[in-house]
Amino acid sequence: MPGVDLTIEICGMSGDGTIAAGTLLNEALSGAGFSIIGFDSYPAEIRGFGRCVTRSRFGTSRMLALSDHTHVLISLDDQQAISRISMLGKNAKVLFDNKPAGTVQEGMSIAAHTAPDADLYGMPFTDLASEAAGTTRGKNLAALGCFTGLAGIDPRFFYTVIEKKFRAKGETVLNANLNSFNAGLTYAHTHFEDAPLVITAPAPEKKKVQRIMLSGNAAIARGALDAGLALYFGYPITPATPIMEYLAKTLPQKGGKVVQMEDEISSIGAVLGSFYAGKRAMTATSGPGLALMAEMISLGVMSETPAVIVDAQRGGPSTGLPTKTEQSDLHAAVFGGPGDSPRIVIAPTDVAECYQFTLKSFELAEKYQTPVIVLTDFFLDNRVENVAAADISGKKRVDGNIYPPKKEQGRYQRYLVTPSGISPRALPGSEGYIYPATGLEHTEAGLPDYSEPVHMQMNAKRHTKIRQALADLPPPKEFSQKGPLDLGVIAWGSSFGAALEAVLKARKKGLAVGALKVISLFPYHEEQIRQFMSRCRRVLIPELNFQGQLANLIGHLHHGDVVRFNRTTGTPLLPSEILLKIQELLQKDNT
Amino acid sequence: MREDHFIVIGNGPAGSQAAFTLKEKAPEARVTIVTKEREGCCHSHLLPGFLAGSISEKKVFAISLDHYTKSGIKLRTGQSVVDVNPQRKEILLEHKETISYSGLIIAVGGRPYIPEPLLAYREHLCTLKTFQDTGTWRQLLPAADSILIMGGDLTSLAVTKSLLALKKKIYFMLTGEAFWPLRFDKALQEEVSGKLTKRGVTVLAGNKLVGIEPVRSGSCRVYVDGQKIKVDMIGAFFGLVPDIGFLRRSGLQLDRGVLVDEYLCSSHEGICAAGDCAQIYHPEIKDYWVSIGTKNARSLGKIAAVNLAGGRKKTRVDRERIFDIQGVKVNTSWWMEF
Repeated sequence: MPGVDLTIEICGMSGDGTIAAGTLLNEALSGAGFSIIGFDSYPAEIRGFGRCVTRSRFGTSRMLALSDHTHVLISLDDQQAISRISMLGKNAKVLFDNKPAGTVQEGMSIAAHTAPDADLYGMPFTDLASEAAGTTRGKNLAALGCFTGLAGIDPRFFYTVIEKKFRAKGETVLNANLNSFNAGLTYAHTHFEDAPLVITAPAPEKKKVQRIMLSGNAAIARGALDAGLALYFGYPITPATPIMEYLAKTLPQKGGKVVQMEDEISSIGAVLGSFYAGKRAMTATSGPGLALMAEMISLGVMSETPAVIVDAQRGGPSTGLPTKTEQSDLHAAVFGGPGDSPRIVIAPTDVAECYQFTLKSFELAEKYQTPVIVLTDFFLDNRVENVAAADISGKKRVDGNIYPPKKEQGRYQRYLVTPSGISPRALPGSEGYIYPATGLEHTEAGLPDYSEPVHMQMNAKRHTKIRQALADLPPPKEFSQKGPLDLGVIAWGSSFGAALEAVLKARKKGLAVGALKVISLFPYHEEQIRQFMSRCRRVLIPELNFQGQLANLIGHLHHGDVVRFNRTTGTPLLPSEILLKIQELLQKDNT
Repeated sequence: MREDHFIVIGNGPAGSQAAFTLKEKAPEARVTIVTKEREGCCHSHLLPGFLAGSISEKKVFAISLDHYTKSGIKLRTGQSVVDVNPQRKEILLEHKETISYSGLIIAVGGRPYIPEPLLAYREHLCTLKTFQDTGTWRQLLPAADSILIMGGDLTSLAVTKSLLALKKKIYFMLTGEAFWPLRFDKALQEEVSGKLTKRGVTVLAGNKLVGIEPVRSGSCRVYVDGQKIKVDMIGAFFGLVPDIGFLRRSGLQLDRGVLVDEYLCSSHEGICAAGDCAQIYHPEIKDYWVSIGTKNARSLGKIAAVNLAGGRKKTRVDRERIFDIQGVKVNTSWWMEF
């Protein structure tokens, strides 16, 4: 049986229940055994209008990125969905409400805009919901029912998730939604007897793997919870806010506290204070917030105080594009701040890594006594994947703190210079381990001192310890054959999935290409990256920023110029465009 | 100045030819085809050959979808027209979208006709008018050894030819019952029957159908005047009826099809009809005639378009070429091709 690889989009006006329908669809398809990657986009303005789109790619093998084209578009509002026509692939199916409240002028219906090869399925979503449940609010469920009927999917997968979602709201609400869904299902069965889509669920896995549908933001929050997060301080900002929302519901149950601060500066200040006192704390923000935190982060560097900061990147500069994705904070994360202020910056590439590296960041922050920035982006934060439960839970919390030995009691030097650059850290209140902590340059004892040798010694100490962290940081991961490569693609963050898919497709075409995933952006594993690059005739670095910020950072490790592939459209990179670039470069080499 | 917008309803040979001619004659005008079919222009006369494997899918769809776009023709597939309002010069689509036109050509063709007594058995009867219909045939044919063909129109003979090439056992029920627009007289019936028998077809001429009983998936027991035969498929080919139900409230003069003059103009200004759905007035015989066949349809589509774009071209059919079969005037080469 050929593998399934389909993308479904649901598009509607804010208030149509678009995102809710997308969530139910993802959950149901996950229950049916498909691998899923889903991504929602919604308007930046906090108002009751604007376009909402959910995009779900699902299939029988692991989904690495969003696809280039949409195979099924469900329009809950034609005026909004018309803009999605350009995403439709060949012979796409378009489901739309064919019984609007009144007649519409030419061009107002999505049917006026589809290509001739598209299959239109007009179905009265609104009327079906109204007749089945006495309210038009369930038109999103009716649309899902229509889709399920057309696709020949077992409706029980949907019943399970509808029940899970609405059970708590009472029988009336649950039944209204089930009835709307069933009305759509019956309509599709009776009006389109031969299911035109036929999506066959994969055979059950031999070893049943429990899967959980999770967004990047939820995975970050779960990682922090499993790391023993005690305090969360934050100020709302898209796309980081869902982390705070998740923790607001869950952290108090574990005895922790979530505090909404007055701004980002106080948030990072409170995080530093908590860690200083020995309590694990975290904040999450986006580019504008990270800019405000720059000085406080450098205080963490100077005072060697741990902190965990999630920077959920969005389009910038300034307020920029709040609901669009971009990878343009890399420079700010690595270099932002006064003076030489090295810190650890790691960038997960998928939802499971959001969990794993957030959890790891607490250990790293404590061990290396430094702020750790977990660099994500809108696409990674908001996308959902059905990850194996084992990959996002049950990881052991590791205490990264290195405490001073008893013999140092009474003569404790907080910033003792050691070969590793790491000085044992005593927590306040420990008798005999009193020390001043300051943002001023200081001696090993912590006393302010601006003399040349002290500043040079301490700068070296702080840099040494960050370099030492490489041993604990996830090394780059290579996906390629052995030996020389015509081209190597190096990618980071949410763009890596698209890069890997492009490379895998290129290899299927017989091209000698490979991919390298870089997770630790600072410090970075210079030797491994250099080795990979040395095997590549060409190196391509695709990024969602204007200049090529990773290319700026690591490009010098290649013997020639790296090829930058940059885009700032606010949308995720697609495998096809990277593949096209690979082919273009290799073709150029061969002519 | 408001741009001209010509709409063609139907994308068969007549409709597509009309649209391309309109674009040629009035390049500045907008041309839109609205068709309820989900695919492009399908040459339904080639479908039997497609089933036999002698005709490719590409050939069945002679015009690529890209060609419409490149020619500046908007093709709306899978969209049904439910009403035409000549006063407002608007058509209404099933999904409640209205589209204004300055000129309209109705070229909807026909849908398979099933005589009333057979409607009770509709679910067992396979027709072959659209490409979508081929799906059922392709699904059932591999396992079907014997097939009953009912009717006797042009398609039935072409299908029989294709099925014989696939080495299927064919029963042909040639009852002579009415199937619009043709009727068999005794002489015709004998001639066709003779030709079929010669090719190894079992002809059940003059027999009357008593009942159809499903045996297992796809197979049926057919009761014909005391005898019963077991077949794996039944094809029904009783000609076509113009698919003009959506015009009932339009005020256009209708009979079995849309009544038009020799210029293919209807009773309302700016509306023409062409192809199988048009009944065309012939001044010499002082009656309306209908046409059958792809070539005729194309020719009529072209004439309708030329006239809608301001031309003045007559349909020219010699009265000798029009068969008068039991009161219905038909211009067709029909079964003689078999």
